[in-house]
Amino acid sequence: MAFNLPTETAKGKVREVELGAGDKAKKVGGENVLPFHLWEGDMPNKPLVAAEVSDEVGELIPALEKALGEVKNDPVAWARKAAEEWGADAIFLLLTSTDPKASNAAADAAAETVLKVEEAVSVPVIVYGTEDLDKDAELAKVIATKAEGKNLLIGPAKEENFKKVGAPAIGYKQTVAGMTPIDVNLAKQLNILLTNLGMEAERLVIDPTTGALGYGLEYTYSVMERLKIAGLMQDDAMTQMPMLANIGFQAWKTKEAKSSEDEYPEWGDPEKRGIMWETLTAVSLLLAGADILVLRHPESMRMVKQLIADLSG
Amino acid sequence: MEGNCRVLFLPDNRYIVVSRGDNLLRAAMDADVHINASCGGSGSCGKCRVVIEEGEVDREPNPKLTGADIAKGYAMACQTRVLSDLQVTVPLESRIGDKRIFERAEPTPAHGYLLAAADWEERLPEWVLDPPTRKVHLVLSEPTLDDNTSDAERIKRGLAVEAGLRDVVIDYPVLQRLPNMIRQSDWDITVTVLDSGDELRAVRIEQGDTTRRQSAIAIDVGTTTISAELIDLYTGEVTARASDYNAQVAFGEDVITRIIYATRGTGLAKLQSVVVGTIWNLIKNLVEQAGIEYCNITHVVVAGNTTITHLLLGLNPKYIREEPYIPSGTIFPWIKCSDIGLRIAAGVYLYAIPCVASYVGGDIVAGILASGVFNTDKMTLYIDIGTNGEMVLGNREWLLSCSCSAGPAFEGGGVKHGMRATGGAIEQVRIDKVGYEPMIITVGNRKPIGICGSGLIDLLSEMFLTGIMNEKGKINTDLPTDRVRDREGGAEYVLVWAEDSATRRDIVITEVDIDNLMRAKAAVYAGIEILLSSMDMDASMIDELLIAGAFGRYLEVDKAVTIGLLPDIGYDKIKFVGNGSLLGAHLAALSKEMLNKANEIARQMTYLELSMNPTFMDHYMSALFFPHTDLEAFPTVIEKLESVRSIQRMAAGTVAGEAEGS
Repeated sequence: MAFNLPTETAKGKVREVELGAGDKAKKVGGENVLPFHLWEGDMPNKPLVAAEVSDEVGELIPALEKALGEVKNDPVAWARKAAEEWGADAIFLLLTSTDPKASNAAADAAAETVLKVEEAVSVPVIVYGTEDLDKDAELAKVIATKAEGKNLLIGPAKEENFKKVGAPAIGYKQTVAGMTPIDVNLAKQLNILLTNLGMEAERLVIDPTTGALGYGLEYTYSVMERLKIAGLMQDDAMTQMPMLANIGFQAWKTKEAKSSEDEYPEWGDPEKRGIMWETLTAVSLLLAGADILVLRHPESMRMVKQLIADLSG
Repeated sequence: MEGNCRVLFLPDNRYIVVSRGDNLLRAAMDADVHINASCGGSGSCGKCRVVIEEGEVDREPNPKLTGADIAKGYAMACQTRVLSDLQVTVPLESRIGDKRIFERAEPTPAHGYLLAAADWEERLPEWVLDPPTRKVHLVLSEPTLDDNTSDAERIKRGLAVEAGLRDVVIDYPVLQRLPNMIRQSDWDITVTVLDSGDELRAVRIEQGDTTRRQSAIAIDVGTTTISAELIDLYTGEVTARASDYNAQVAFGEDVITRIIYATRGTGLAKLQSVVVGTIWNLIKNLVEQAGIEYCNITHVVVAGNTTITHLLLGLNPKYIREEPYIPSGTIFPWIKCSDIGLRIAAGVYLYAIPCVASYVGGDIVAGILASGVFNTDKMTLYIDIGTNGEMVLGNREWLLSCSCSAGPAFEGGGVKHGMRATGGAIEQVRIDKVGYEPMIITVGNRKPIGICGSGLIDLLSEMFLTGIMNEKGKINTDLPTDRVRDREGGAEYVLVWAEDSATRRDIVITEVDIDNLMRAKAAVYAGIEILLSSMDMDASMIDELLIAGAFGRYLEVDKAVTIGLLPDIGYDKIKFVGNGSLLGAHLAALSKEMLNKANEIARQMTYLELSMNPTFMDHYMSALFFPHTDLEAFPTVIEKLESVRSIQRMAAGTVAGEAEGS
């Protein structure tokens, strides 16, 4: 008798969420299996690798400075390079300039940047504010209105400002990423709040908040895994949203990624070290169930994309 | 004043049957008919005007109601008593914002079922009147030179021959009184024998036959309230009842503060004497009510939580509070009342119902005994909600208990205008789905002072269903009513305007209050879930949910389910026990068998320490949501929400339509 691999099939499936519009549209989610358990079901859409692009950068870590080169002060060029040369599946535009604790750029100006970037690339665009509740609410309103029809993924919507971020997204047909602090219940609760507000569940993405390798990764991993299991095995409708893991931001602020060779000669080449820190964090969270991986370094993107291709067989 | 009256409310076209003499506003509330009422029924706001179309009523004279009004049939619902069948119209002015344009669905009965005497017989079939003390009348033969055994041996022989009581130990004070007493009474005496389970002890000797004069006292020693009953042991009937606040309240409202007080200096002795003082006053009251002698009382049974039992018995409670939470004892011997300073009469012994652990005490054991949980095949969840939410899951096969710290929110603590259920406390609340106007009733129909536990649960439930607050307990300040408003530190809802309140301040509920209440309900619900999940069960497997405690009695079950305090398992499964602790003490005072059962329950019950439970936080977080993050577990709440939303949508449609039309 032939050997049959025992399989565990899921009751539920992750919702398929479309990012971007028209030719640029890409789908995420849709899987009815745990990450890459392809013998038990399907992952119709490969996880997306999104390149983080910032509209304002301060001093960069040498490894990133080197990788970015001239584009670091031009978000449009940066996004274009990421999409065309580095193979990013999506652009994650971080509106650093709007941070009220720093430059506090006007929402209108930031919205202009968003439109230009969206125009310049042929991949979906994710737009994030700086986690200032009021400013993000203002940004969501202006950007959602001006980018009507573009189906941006706008975030982060939090428990405290979900109404103000969600309402314009509903009105102007954008998608929303809801962010909660590493907790299964809180993530689910925010989805309930947003859907009760009138948001279609098919227009929601979970940002469960992620930690970097060595900095609470296990915790993040467990929460993401439990969210995915609840959605798949328990068919829990309010956890069946694709998940976004904001990795670059977390990985590159670790001591291991940013310390120079002078500080820690025994740790070896800082460039390689930073890239590996980001890549390994990404690989872990990929296996935890992330559907969108936000990365900073082109080399990390290349490696993670390669791994996704390999795992997808 | 006898007989029932049928009251029909128009235009709702809903009727309710009430007793003649009942208050009309309360009738409206019970019939689920909205009438604006914001003064709690004190007659001061003048908002609950109705028109009596047919029938007879008794109107309290009120300056808000003129002779011309009365001529037109007007009455103020809260100041009106029903004297006959009525037809009442609620005029538009009293239903502001009420734009309902269709009949509402029949409401599910809100009030649960209170266990009655007939239930006890069914639940405790082996119960027989056989109290732990027994009076035996003896007419002894006088000693002679031939029969020269001692007085004590003579009594022991008499007890063995007459009553089959062998090897009775004679208490020292009895022995002291013996020689004179029996001779004075011509060898005709009554001996009281206590069966402590371990031995038989002659605890009192009286002249002549006093067997018909025997009473016991059962006491529920609560953290806040002490309730006592005097029971005639010859008939088994309760002959007097009394209750009072536990005077220890002055030394701290909760058990933790009292433990701290007890561990300082002579604190323990002070707390003991204070609680004994309260009990003594109650006993005095009982004895006077029943017109008996103190010496009729032969024993006392008390039930209280572990800390209070410690304080009453003068046991050091210090280690109850410190990890790993160890009580001095859980099973207590029969002690002389005089040993704790309770001097009722000579030879009166006291038994404290045993405890299970530091935070599951004799009150719970007594409740499990009284509600027959130990005796049933039905899977039962027994809950006593107070500062601590104690709960027991099980049946005749096994019992599993836990205690979760709910905090004082349901008793009004940590809530801006929270209060205990005394006069002027808002105890029932309805909020109009369209205009967001409240309808409130206070304890004693007085001007409102604050909100008590049942009122808070009503309020949360109504605010949630009407959308005044969301699932996270955040108030929607965009609503078109000035009752919701932003204040420093968060938004609030004004339940009573200053001019209608007894305090001349707005009575509000704030987001901070809601947060505290949400935490309390989440702790209770998490406890329930942990009990269930540790047996690999879910709420649907509960056959019966018993709610004990004074707070539970006034709880509206559907409201408690709506906010996710209780599981949504069908209202017919939910029953009220009343004061389970007192009932259990009562049963044990009347029956040795029941007293032994209480000991067995305490010994066999498994205690789950929640602070050790790794899943507590997860269950707690998911319960920090109205009704719960797992909404599917609350199907009736989903239904209610949908029904309210559709009413609101239709009302909004009507308003929009009217605006277009004009």
